[in-house]
Amino acid sequence: MSATIVKASALALIAVSVLAAGGHNVQAEKDRKALVAYMEKKFANPLKNRAQFFPYSTDKELKENIKGDLKFEEFVLGSYAFNKQGRAQYDEIAEMPPYEDAIDAGEELYNGTKGIKKCFPDPAIAGEYPKFDEKKGEVVTLTSAINDCLKASGQKPWNAKKGKMAELEAYFAYRSKEAGKKVDIRIPSQAAQEAYERGKKNYYSQRGYLKLSCANCHVQGAGQRVRAEYMSPLLGQTTHFPVYRLKWEGLGTLERRMGGCNKDQGENPHKPGSPWMKELLYFMAYMSNGLPVDGPDIRK
Amino acid sequence: MKTVQTIVTLLNLGAALTLSASAEEVNAAVEAAAKLDVKKVCDVRANGLEKVLAVAEKYNPEAVKLGVEFKRLGITNSTYIKGLKEAVKAKKPEVTLKYKSKGKEKSKTFKTDYAAWRSCHFAVRALQQVKEAQSTYRLAIPGDGYSF
Repeated sequence: MSATIVKASALALIAVSVLAAGGHNVQAEKDRKALVAYMEKKFANPLKNRAQFFPYSTDKELKENIKGDLKFEEFVLGSYAFNKQGRAQYDEIAEMPPYEDAIDAGEELYNGTKGIKKCFPDPAIAGEYPKFDEKKGEVVTLTSAINDCLKASGQKPWNAKKGKMAELEAYFAYRSKEAGKKVDIRIPSQAAQEAYERGKKNYYSQRGYLKLSCANCHVQGAGQRVRAEYMSPLLGQTTHFPVYRLKWEGLGTLERRMGGCNKDQGENPHKPGSPWMKELLYFMAYMSNGLPVDGPDIRK
Repeated sequence: MKTVQTIVTLLNLGAALTLSASAEEVNAAVEAAAKLDVKKVCDVRANGLEKVLAVAEKYNPEAVKLGVEFKRLGITNSTYIKGLKEAVKAKKPEVTLKYKSKGKEKSKTFKTDYAAWRSCHFAVRALQQVKEAQSTYRLAIPGDGYSF
């Protein structure tokens, strides 16, 4: 009798665990849907919603330069989804994209670098990272996965911000885009959920001598201007990396861009492979779940 | 099925409670810094250079450990403190800080009093912000503390 109870309890526990495992993204989904709703509402009619969402913008600016009625899929373009003048410039540059050579260089690295093909047999994986590695108990970004792969085959890790790393990631992004892949970040366990929550906290916490959070500029501040530049929304922020930035005159990874944001906030930038950075990117990428992979791309 | 759903909900609730509990756990240095009046403890005229420098030296390493150290125009607070220690020891009225920016060696000169105030202010505020963020970060999350 007692053996039957033990068996039944064990089975019930397994069933509950399996069901619970499927529910680790409940809060993240709630956050993501609320973010989508917020962004769609904000950009539904910027002129009409000026008082609530664009208090510092002029009527003329909202009428002439900010596109309204934005839907979820359009946010994949970042600020070019709503910035009409910026979009026109972006479209012009995109006619002769400056990152094309980098994709070719990335393909050569993929085929010619020891171990890479074995670690990433399918190169169309840009939308799956960052992911939570249950064995390591930590978030793995595409950048850290590539460097781990290099180290495992006895090679030196690459610079996580530019150069070969950005080129190989450009190839991965290009192949993912070509295959029609979407951002698909998963939260498979309690530990992954905790990493997501820490990343979320990092994103929304005010830091640095300017006391700015990422959200100040990219959630509440999205669509507002800093000098002549419009700030991009969190929704769709990670989909197009690596990017060729005119300011950099070259290609850079998401980690490189985040380091720049940290500096702008007035704090010592976090290292690309640090848990802080990896968890931040985990949260950010989850927010873009369902959007198509759109990299590599161009940004100012 | 309803029972299973209830158990799953309870498990999720437990997880949420665990998360909020861990969010409340803050470093002892953060708690200590949160109680300080930064204008008073970093007042060079009232406390003297050595005392103000000691406050910066006490709190900035904790900010570094937590990954919240301030950096302004290419100069980290650790650089301020390092340069300041030498200037205070040599009783110099000015402190010259050497730092790297975009791969180039650079330097900037500040009044020693000013550098002391800044390093102390930066060290304490970095930790105070950690404490403040515990209760404020959710206010910015759409669908949570931020309604629209």
